[in-house]
Amino acid sequence: MNRRFVGLAALAVVCAGVELVAGRGMSPSAVWDVLGGGGEVTERHILLQLRLPRMLVALGAGASLAVAGLVLQSALRNPLAGPEVTGVTPGAVLGAVTATALGLAGWDSPLAVVLAACTGGCVGALLLWLLAGRTGADPAQTAVHGVLVSAVLGGLTAMVLLVEPGELGSVVQWLVGTTEGRVWEHWHLLWPWALLWGTAVWLLAGPLTLLRCGDDIALAAGLSAGRARTLALLCAVALTAGAVAAVGALGFVGLLVPHLALAVFGADLRTSLPGAALLGAVVVCGADAVAQLSSRILAETLDAGRLTVPVGALTACLGAALLLVVVRRSPSHTF
Amino acid sequence: MSLTQSIGIHVEGVHFGYPARPVLRGVDLTVRPGELTALIGLNGCGKSTLLRLAAGLLRPNRGRVLLGGEDLARLSRRATAARVALLHQSAPAVPGMTVRHLVRQGRYAARGPLGMLREGDDPVVHRALRDVGVEHWADRDVDALSGGERQRVRLAMALAQDTRVLLLDEPTTYLDLHHQLDVLRTVVRLREERGLTVVMVLHDLAHAARFAERIVALREGLVVADGAPKEVVTPGLLADVLKVAGRVGTDPEGGWPVCYPDHPLHALENENQFH
Repeated sequence: MNRRFVGLAALAVVCAGVELVAGRGMSPSAVWDVLGGGGEVTERHILLQLRLPRMLVALGAGASLAVAGLVLQSALRNPLAGPEVTGVTPGAVLGAVTATALGLAGWDSPLAVVLAACTGGCVGALLLWLLAGRTGADPAQTAVHGVLVSAVLGGLTAMVLLVEPGELGSVVQWLVGTTEGRVWEHWHLLWPWALLWGTAVWLLAGPLTLLRCGDDIALAAGLSAGRARTLALLCAVALTAGAVAAVGALGFVGLLVPHLALAVFGADLRTSLPGAALLGAVVVCGADAVAQLSSRILAETLDAGRLTVPVGALTACLGAALLLVVVRRSPSHTF
Repeated sequence: MSLTQSIGIHVEGVHFGYPARPVLRGVDLTVRPGELTALIGLNGCGKSTLLRLAAGLLRPNRGRVLLGGEDLARLSRRATAARVALLHQSAPAVPGMTVRHLVRQGRYAARGPLGMLREGDDPVVHRALRDVGVEHWADRDVDALSGGERQRVRLAMALAQDTRVLLLDEPTTYLDLHHQLDVLRTVVRLREERGLTVVMVLHDLAHAARFAERIVALREGLVVADGAPKEVVTPGLLADVLKVAGRVGTDPEGGWPVCYPDHPLHALENENQFH
């Protein structure tokens, strides 16, 4: 188990390294120079003020989304749950977009964006809860309700964007999810928030493991299942909101990374929760590196200087393929 | 763990149900410390509900349930689970969980949410695995086991709660005869070794007559028969409680009652039997 953590941590370092050198206009040797303390002023600025925070934000957002997804899947006992399909992410996007449109939040008040995203995420989760009921008996049924809620919230977001388009040019990127233009302010906001709620989730690892066994068993073993689930969902919403406020609605990370984490680290949440965080960081950072590399290649071949591939587009495509695999092997038997 | 530590269950005037459908209609029952009691009755007679009330998973509409003199209504979920364990009739699949890990979940009531985070050798888990004889494959996935093996693992999880009272809701459902006897023998042995107070819902009257010291029969939410198998298991009980016609004999070696059920009774036939 420790070897897997070490291997994954090494992979995270590699992804982070690639992410640093993947962008346009800077050679790997120049990056090395800057990291060594040298380099030109412009290069230093690009690396230390733009690329480094962007990399850290990608790592942090990936970890937050993956942990939020694992918490949702465990608390709802649903392999098809994830922030994207339970209304949490679309709700958070709606919250952030609405707050920005109303002038309550914006680039100058990033904390307000997080809080608005949190409120929106809670509303999304609440809507699903009202529709699917507290127990969420049938995973497929809950997933269908989740898609419904997400569609409605997405529609509302589109309406806000149509009514109030001026202010929101930069907000549109929240819809797809991108790490483009993320700076230290984003990181300074993301990490304490993720650490706070990540710690809370870690403390809930025991109850969450019992929730995975089903409410009957959890109650008989002495867990107040309803209260534990509410707390867990709150943590998941908060983690998602933090990530959405930083990078937007990154598709499928929260839905699929938990499956990878459980496959690699097993059902013991004491190891698979940190495992999911590490895997999520690797996936998003790696995807962002690939997105930047492909932007660079595309720009060179098409001779289009300003073309960029958002990381969210990449994770969504990757995720859709993986989702098919998960759906086909979802267990359904009881004992 | 001696017999003196055993605790009993008192069910006092318990009513439970929903406005349109009463389930229990005034049940009084005292289970003495260390007793092995079987609950029998037709589907929907309220026996599983009574078990869940005794485990504190449901609260009575009227009346109260005492465990060793403590009112369950005053105990938290965790405190209740430290006193009484309930083995459910069925449980959902838990993908990826090993036997050891599932049995370890039985320690929640004793260790609490933070205690569960600690690694650490838990002698109670080892004992529970040994009790049901699954220590050799403790690292296998629960979902990869057969039905009989899974039931033993779930019994181990209930035993890991280390309670004085053990409640079993149809522990032998879905099992073949070999595994039915395997589970029941394990329960009987542990109860003798540790002085556990055991109440189990059984569908098979033959098992109840063979293994229980006392049989309590429920019909439409009321206790209609209560006593040692020899006194209670009669053709009248078969007709009255289980709605079947049949004969009752005696095991030639053990002396316990043996049933020979024949055919289901319908409402009219049932009336004739008693008038």
